[in-house]
Amino acid sequence: MKSDKVRNFIQRRIRRRFIFAGVTLILYFSYALNYTEAGSFLNQRLGNSYISGSLLMYGLIIISSILLEWIFLRTQEEMSSEGDEG
Amino acid sequence: MMRNHPLARLLFGLVCFCAFPVLVNGAGIDGDVERQALNPLAILIFVLFVVTTLFITYWAAKKTSTSSTFYNAGGKITGLQNGTAIAGDFMSAASLLGITGLIFIGGFDGLVLGLGAFTGWPIMLFLLAKRVRNLGSYTFIDVVSERLDKTQIRSVAILGTIVTVILYLIAQMVGAGKLIELLFGLPYEYAVVIVSGLVLAYVTFGGMLATTWVQIVKAILLLTGVTLTAFLVLLEAGFSLDNLFQAATLKHPKGEAILGPGVIFSDPVQIVTIMVSMTFGTLGLPHILMRLFTVSDMVEAKKSVAYASGFMGYFFLLMVVMGFGSIMLVTGESQFYGADGKLIGGTNMTAIHLANAVGGDLLTGFMSAVTFATILAVVAGLTVSGGAAISHDFYAQILCKGKPDEKKELFLTRVTTVIIGVIAILLGIAFQNENVGFIATMPMVVAASVNFPILFLSLFWPGLTTRGAVSGALVGLISSVTLIVIGPQVWVSVLGFENAIFPYNYPALFTMPLAIITTWIISGLDRSARGEVDRSNYYLLLPQSELGPKAAD
Repeated sequence: MKSDKVRNFIQRRIRRRFIFAGVTLILYFSYALNYTEAGSFLNQRLGNSYISGSLLMYGLIIISSILLEWIFLRTQEEMSSEGDEG
Repeated sequence: MMRNHPLARLLFGLVCFCAFPVLVNGAGIDGDVERQALNPLAILIFVLFVVTTLFITYWAAKKTSTSSTFYNAGGKITGLQNGTAIAGDFMSAASLLGITGLIFIGGFDGLVLGLGAFTGWPIMLFLLAKRVRNLGSYTFIDVVSERLDKTQIRSVAILGTIVTVILYLIAQMVGAGKLIELLFGLPYEYAVVIVSGLVLAYVTFGGMLATTWVQIVKAILLLTGVTLTAFLVLLEAGFSLDNLFQAATLKHPKGEAILGPGVIFSDPVQIVTIMVSMTFGTLGLPHILMRLFTVSDMVEAKKSVAYASGFMGYFFLLMVVMGFGSIMLVTGESQFYGADGKLIGGTNMTAIHLANAVGGDLLTGFMSAVTFATILAVVAGLTVSGGAAISHDFYAQILCKGKPDEKKELFLTRVTTVIIGVIAILLGIAFQNENVGFIATMPMVVAASVNFPILFLSLFWPGLTTRGAVSGALVGLISSVTLIVIGPQVWVSVLGFENAIFPYNYPALFTMPLAIITTWIISGLDRSARGEVDRSNYYLLLPQSELGPKAAD
């Protein structure tokens, strides 16, 4: 029984790792959209500003990734308090 | 007077060499290479750095009495210290000078390398940091050999590590020698020997402890310098990014085109191959993975990566200000251009010119010395990693079956370190006529195609067997080297053929999946007794890898 609980706990953590990694990689590789027809709208300036969608995307990907790390660490703390981290 | 001083020549040459990886991207030294007038402050800061780091080495040497202390600083580094050291190890001068130079040439296109270098870190935190720390002792090879046949997998992983480390070192040495020779007429060999000599002093006597503190000092200096420069650039732009970008578009010959892609890169496949190589290459760099073992436990390992990631995210965000600031403040300013109308020292010197534009001689001197510190810190990390692969992974674990004589191992570690330094000098001299761009491309691609697949699959795929891992690693190594050779950097630039057989310089987009698919097929077909052991080891090690050493009991 206890080993089933531990296995489930580990499986949940692994799933979570892959979800966070997957989201980060999707964000990251979406950067390549800038170089395609489908993403050509990103190359435009935002209104009258000289900040383009492409530049904004660069900054947002970095900031989002750091936020994801922060969420990952916070939720891991919560998960650790649920299970026996060892 | 000062411009002819040998030390001044050397320092400026080293500053230039750091940016050599930019050549990989076709943005080499394109300006006049006439000598720079160096201010005495640069030399003073450089001397202070060397004295400080040698003092650190002296202090660390007294504490480095065992092989454990040598490899991982006794595991006593804190998460914050280690995170700073990781940032110091990874934020190379190529990042500072190279990316600034690329943005100076092509605006937005220059940022792809920064994003690629950064994104490996969140992935490191999510997938690798904790598990690697829980299963290993000194190197990532310890981690994979916990599960697979130790002798076979160590042999192939050592090969991957040594190839990566040596290629990195060669690229650094060749770059240093060539630029100094090119710019100042100093003998090529002098530069190579001086860089190696200082690094060997750090590593041979102070081991990982000295290397860690050299990297921490360097990271603090680098972040301080970049922050100060970016602040002064923003001051010039009225603290408005909009003003900064507008001024840059007015100065750059391509105008508003620099706000989007297409000035340097236009092929999406080329962009994706660069992104794959940079990110997954980072996850397979042995000297970076080794830093996860310098902390006491998995919690500190996670903290290390989170801190490192934060520092690097900050650094790569500031690169936008540095790059576009250089367009705004350096473009067209006569003091930064030679008689032929080209940027003095080439585009790789853009960041140094920017420092001069906003902070005069004081900031220029500081940034030059910081760049020099950067080289030493990166090479020191590489040397420790190469030394550990031979003395720990090969001698202690394979030859002595994990039971080496402690003193003999430490002695061998130091001897190995010196040998690696000497090899780096010799190969640096031997490869002096080769295309540095070609050499610099290979480590990231090899790390992504050999080291990363073995490590990732051993941690997350129950079906992996030794036979599959060895086959996949060898296929990754052979295919990555082959595709690089038949790619533009070697086939056209080095061998002189008209057209490349393979069109991309960074083939990891193709070689990494090839290695993984080979591993998957061979592991699936493996019906050996050892294969069964490898598969069951996954489940045996799972609690320890995920929950820590106590869970193994």
